[in-house]
Amino acid sequence: MNWPHKDLIGIADLEAEEITTIFDLAPNFKEISRRDIKKVPTLRGKTVVLIFYEASTRTRLSFEIAAKRLSADTVAISQTGSAFQKGETMMDAAKNIMAMMPDCIVMRYPYAGMLPRLAKELPCSVINAGDGYHEHPTQALLDMYSMREHFGALKGLNVVMVGDIMHSRVARSNVYGLKKMGARVTLVGPKTLMPPGIESWGAAVSTEFDPVIPDADVIMMLRIQKERIAEHLFPGDREYSSFYGLGKARVAMMKKDAVIMHPGPMNRGVEINSDAADSKRAIILDQVENGVAIRMALMYLCLGGSNVD
Amino acid sequence: MTDILLTPGEVGMVLQELADKLESKFKTWEDIVFIGIRSGGEHVAEHLVRLMKKRLGREIPLGELDIALYRDDLSKRLFYPEVKKTSIPFDIEGKIVILVDDVLNTGRSVRAAIDHIVDLGRPRRIYLLVLFDRGGRELPIQADFTGKTIELPSKKIIKINVPDDTSKLGNVIITGVKK
Repeated sequence: MNWPHKDLIGIADLEAEEITTIFDLAPNFKEISRRDIKKVPTLRGKTVVLIFYEASTRTRLSFEIAAKRLSADTVAISQTGSAFQKGETMMDAAKNIMAMMPDCIVMRYPYAGMLPRLAKELPCSVINAGDGYHEHPTQALLDMYSMREHFGALKGLNVVMVGDIMHSRVARSNVYGLKKMGARVTLVGPKTLMPPGIESWGAAVSTEFDPVIPDADVIMMLRIQKERIAEHLFPGDREYSSFYGLGKARVAMMKKDAVIMHPGPMNRGVEINSDAADSKRAIILDQVENGVAIRMALMYLCLGGSNVD
Repeated sequence: MTDILLTPGEVGMVLQELADKLESKFKTWEDIVFIGIRSGGEHVAEHLVRLMKKRLGREIPLGELDIALYRDDLSKRLFYPEVKKTSIPFDIEGKIVILVDDVLNTGRSVRAAIDHIVDLGRPRRIYLLVLFDRGGRELPIQADFTGKTIELPSKKIIKINVPDDTSKLGNVIITGVKK
C-alpha cells in the first residue's frame, strides 16, 4: 500500500489497515535482527536525530538500533548537556537541527502538543517517542504486535491494563489501537490514578483487579510512575501491591493461555512480582525484541519513499 | 499492446535447455543450492529445481530472496517496493549458489540480491541464471546461464504469467510501458 504518513504522532492518526501494514512488515525486520549481520542498506545516507527531553534507556536504544540496522546515521541528543538547558525554545532548537538536514526526528518530550506543531513545521519525518501523558505510539504498536504474534489476531482479545492509567501514555495509545483492531480493553486501577473523563476512552473501567483476571487474555501491568505521582495518590507500595500488584496468587487466577505484559521498566515488588515477571506466561522480552522490528518497519514506511502515482 | 513472447510449452523447452546446461556444467551436486529472486525468479527456480530433481534423483535446496530492502533507489522516493519474506531454509556458507531471476535487465536487482546473500553468509561461488536477458545493463553484470536473449526497447516489460497452480507453467508476454 502507499504509506500516506510522513510522521507518526499518535495511534489515533492511524487506520486499522495501516496498523496491519506495519504488523505485516515487522517479521521481515525481525528476521534481520536475528541474523549474524544485522544490517540492511535500506536507509543508507539518511540521518535520524533522536531527541530525548526525558530520561529513557530502552526506547532510545530501540530506536537507535532500529535506525542503525537500516543503515541510517543516528545522532542522539538528551536534555542534559544540550542547548535545551540554556533556555532555547524547542521550536528554535528543532529549526536549527533541521538546518542540518536530518531525514527523521524521533522525539520524546514531556508535554503534549509540541510534536504535532513540529511535524507541521518541519519537512522531515517526526516520530513521537512519548509526549507527556498524551501518546507513545510505537510502544502501543509493539505491544499490539506482540499480542498478535502470540494469539494470531487482535480481534476479540480481552486485554486488561492495570495500574497508573492517569500518567500512562502507553495505556492511552494502546486503548486507541486495540479498539481499532477489534480488541476489548478493561482499565484497572485506583480511582486516584484514573484520569478525569476516562469514560470517553471507550474502555471498560474497574477499580477492582481480581474479578477481571479470569476472563483476560492479556494482562498488561503498567509502571507506577513514581517520578510523576504525588505521594498522596495511594498509601504506599505494599498496599498498592496487595490490591493491584501481579504476583503468584493472581497469576494462578489467569486463564491457562493468558499472557503477562509490561512496557517496562518494571518496579518489581510494586506492580509486578518476580513470580509473574519471570514466569513462562510473561512475553515482556518479546515486547522488547519486537520493539526494534516495529520501529524499523515504521522508519522504513515513513522514510522509504512514497508513491508518485 | 500485449504480445505473447513464449507459450507455456515454449517456456518448458527453454527450461529444459537450461537444465541441460546445468547438468553438463556440474559434475557433482553436493553443495549446490538454488535461490530465486522474488517474485519472477522464485517461480523459475521452483520449476528448475523440480526438473533437476527429476533428472538427478536427489533433493536440491531451494530458497527465496526478497530484495526490497536492498534496492538502491529508495532514496529517490519514486516508488514503494513491497517487502516480502526472504526464506533461505539452509546454511549458504561454503555453498555454490545458483541465483535465479526471470529477466536480466539493468543488473540492479542482481546486485541487490548478491548484497543480500553475502549478508546471510559466505557462499563459495555464486552463479547467475536467468530465463531472459533483455539487455539494457546499467551495471557490469552478466548471467552464467541464459535461457533466451532478446533485445527489447526499454519501455517494454517482459512479464511471466504465473498460473494459480504454480506447478504449471504460464505464458510469457511483452507488455506495458515501463516508467
